[in-house]
Amino acid sequence: MKKMSIPIGPQHPLLKEPLSMIIDIEGESVLGGSLRLGYVHRGIEKLAQERTYVQDVHLIERICGICSHVHTTTFCLAVEALLEIEAPPRAQYIRALMCELERVHSHLLWLGVLTKHVGLDTIFMHAWHDREMALDIMETISGGRVLHAANMIGGVRFDLDKENEVMIREVVEKLKTQVGGLLDVIENEPALRARTQGVAPITGDMIRKYCAVGPIARASGIDVDMRRDDPWFPYDQLDFEVITHPDGDAWARTFLRTEETRVSLNLCQHILEELPDGPVSVRAKRRVPEGEVVIRTEAPRGEVFYYLRSDGTDKPARLKVRTPTLSALSMLPEQLAAIQVADIPVVLAGVDLCIACADR
Amino acid sequence: MRPNNLDDLVALIKAKTGADSTIYTGIANEPAVRIPAGKLREVVTAMMDDLDITHLSAITAQQRGEEKDLIELIYHFWQGSGIAVMMSLPVKSPQVDSLIDIIRGADFYEREVAEMFGVQFAGRKETPPLLLPDEWDQGPPFISDEEGDV
Repeated sequence: MKKMSIPIGPQHPLLKEPLSMIIDIEGESVLGGSLRLGYVHRGIEKLAQERTYVQDVHLIERICGICSHVHTTTFCLAVEALLEIEAPPRAQYIRALMCELERVHSHLLWLGVLTKHVGLDTIFMHAWHDREMALDIMETISGGRVLHAANMIGGVRFDLDKENEVMIREVVEKLKTQVGGLLDVIENEPALRARTQGVAPITGDMIRKYCAVGPIARASGIDVDMRRDDPWFPYDQLDFEVITHPDGDAWARTFLRTEETRVSLNLCQHILEELPDGPVSVRAKRRVPEGEVVIRTEAPRGEVFYYLRSDGTDKPARLKVRTPTLSALSMLPEQLAAIQVADIPVVLAGVDLCIACADR
Repeated sequence: MRPNNLDDLVALIKAKTGADSTIYTGIANEPAVRIPAGKLREVVTAMMDDLDITHLSAITAQQRGEEKDLIELIYHFWQGSGIAVMMSLPVKSPQVDSLIDIIRGADFYEREVAEMFGVQFAGRKETPPLLLPDEWDQGPPFISDEEGDV
């Protein structure tokens, strides 16, 4: 049978963000593929060197339109480490609350994308409806639906009042019920299992070989989560489950991310119960002493890595950002090999690609 | 791997590769060893085989301060906590061994360092651009010009 190469992207209805792929097929079998990034490369690492730390918080937030908050959290933790200051406990709990709400809305967004691709539009609509509830909380407390501008160096820009806390508790409780319903469907819907079970399995060895992280790794039995394994405050004070699944297929990734949504909602409640009183920010000097620091946090897609070096001025000398999608993308060609053409959307969606993050 | 094990790592590197390495504690949260660039592959192989350190989080490339004639590479590993391997390359002919046959996940990291800093990774069949346009002809964007601007 004749071999063919199909170009997908950088603009394609299958993709919500620009990515160029060449997929090699023979009949209905996919032989492999290659991909090209850079269509939303904004040179953020370079730009960060030309702006002050205060300006960079806003620049960094624009790395991603989904996990914008975890990027600013990681950056602020890095700057605060070099300044030898700590945000007040209340501020750090609010940061963690936003991180978990971000994980909830990111995972529900992903569930909607996957189920849309496999033709289960009802689940898609439920998932995105529920995602709006998480976004509404974030918008109410921060003022921003996508870019929250919650973080500043030395703390957060807003406090939670009692009215906010009551509202969050009510919405989170309702979301838990909704997510319970989604989990029930994921476990019992035969059409979803038929389209995802056994599809594009990723082994633990592949995860290690490609240095993959986050839910993809955990759905292949690799028990790693930076919130537990390399924790930052207040995660070292919080109890939460790290979900893993041994199968590594598209269904395991679906189940795992939805389970993680449930865990994050529990964490939101836990954070509100433990929320300390006090201020939400401390003053931070604009000039950062010479030094270098590495900070790793857990974004919805896995380990986020920041290296920051200061030369004593008010601008970073070097900022290196490695986002979790980059390692997941490098694994994609091997994942595509030996699947059927009809499974390409499931594989692409299963990775939970964030091209803006990867491109920076 | 915790900071107080770094002496063991230096001894392991000496025993396995014959190379002299030095401890670098300048990075908060991540102890590091500075090695000769030519020994990267052997050092990483020893870390993988003897210490089970296999997760490469990132490769940072940079030019430090006034050292405009050098490019520094930092390989950031993680195994329960961070540990880094670092080396310096001459900016006029920066070359180091590729790790993609032992750590496949290094592929995109190397491609990015290659296009942004002009580093050549020996052992790769090709190093296509990852982020910059195909028609980019202005040289590696992170390399300082003669006036020292970055």
